Amino acid sequence: MTALLLGALGLTLSLVVPGILANARWPDRAPVGAVVLWQSITLTAVLAALGVVLAAPEEVTRAAGSGKTVAEVAVIGALAVAALIILRLLISLYGVSRRSRARRARHRLLVDLLDRAEQHRELGPDNLRVLDGALPLAYCVPGREPRVVLSHGVLQVLDRAQIDAVLAHEQTHLRHRHEVVMESFTAFYRAVPRPLRSRKPLDAVHLLLEMIADDVARRRTGAEPLRAALERLTDAVPLAEDVKPDPRGDARRRRLDRLAESHTPSVALNVVAGAAAVGLLVLPTVILVVPWLDRALEAWPL
Amino acid sequence: MALGDLEREVMTQLWDAGEPLTVRQVHERLSRQRDLAYTTVMTVLDRLAKKGVVQQQKADRAYKYAPSQSREEMTASVMLDALSSSDDQDAALAYFVGQLSPDALAAAIRASEKRK
Repeated sequence: MTALLLGALGLTLSLVVPGILANARWPDRAPVGAVVLWQSITLTAVLAALGVVLAAPEEVTRAAGSGKTVAEVAVIGALAVAALIILRLLISLYGVSRRSRARRARHRLLVDLLDRAEQHRELGPDNLRVLDGALPLAYCVPGREPRVVLSHGVLQVLDRAQIDAVLAHEQTHLRHRHEVVMESFTAFYRAVPRPLRSRKPLDAVHLLLEMIADDVARRRTGAEPLRAALERLTDAVPLAEDVKPDPRGDARRRRLDRLAESHTPSVALNVVAGAAAVGLLVLPTVILVVPWLDRALEAWPL
Repeated sequence: MALGDLEREVMTQLWDAGEPLTVRQVHERLSRQRDLAYTTVMTVLDRLAKKGVVQQQKADRAYKYAPSQSREEMTASVMLDALSSSDDQDAALAYFVGQLSPDALAAAIRASEKRK
């Protein structure tokens, strides 16, 4: 029974809940709480899968009244599969972070060489690099030696206040180590068997991290320069005809709407989302796993 | 002077020269602005060659150095690299401010390359 319930929980969390949460609009008002909730959903789904693997063989052998040998084999098999799941997750996490680090190191080397330092002495941050090129591009490369990269086009289409807003946005990604959050979701995504995989958490969390960076930047420089910068950076790009303007146009709209005057962030929503995240992690363990563990340990065959 | 700044200035000299330079030539050009040891320039060129951004060519018993890509080529490839965030493979390399799709931006970079 425990295994069935945990299995239902795990499937609900990986197949049903992501769709609902990705389409919800309340996270726009509480992006931090929403990110924590996504993390909790993902972690709980993993724990539920582990729970199924461990509980199912034990419950089946006990219900069937199997002999000691069968029960032993079942427990050993269950432990092995659980270890395999954990190992697969760890390997995926290691691979993603190692590849990302190597790519970023190479990228950092090249932007350092291409930097037009003389163009931005007055703009401030030491880790800023400016590249030639009229196409307006603004991004950051995270890591232990992070960089903020602007193209010359950005300096041309944005005024000083807007550039400061963009820099504040990027520095927030770097300071809050958003890449660690994204890497963990990516690693999880890659470790999950294909039929159960969903890109929804990745895309949703990515957008939420953008919103969090927007919020910090708006507190520092005001909402208007950031809003104007977002609009200009996207409008200034000449698009090739065969490319659709933006498959994620909805994401852009949502960020711009949040930067309007009428947008109100909600502390209460953040708190509720945080509490839900903790509850999701703790309650199934207390309600389902602990009672099962009690029974299982009594009949421990090894 | 930090090593990174020196590497950048050496690259700038090589890009601006438009032809392969010997260590001595790079040293001369940099020495117009400041005091710099010949061996330092040699070390920096060696490091850049090891990183693959500079190519070493042997000519008349002297080594000459040239950038492996023009500044424009390298700029375009850096930007494309930043944009190619194949999330299925890796976490995104970079976080962009704008919300244009990476594909659209990459197409724009390639188009501006072709015009040159």
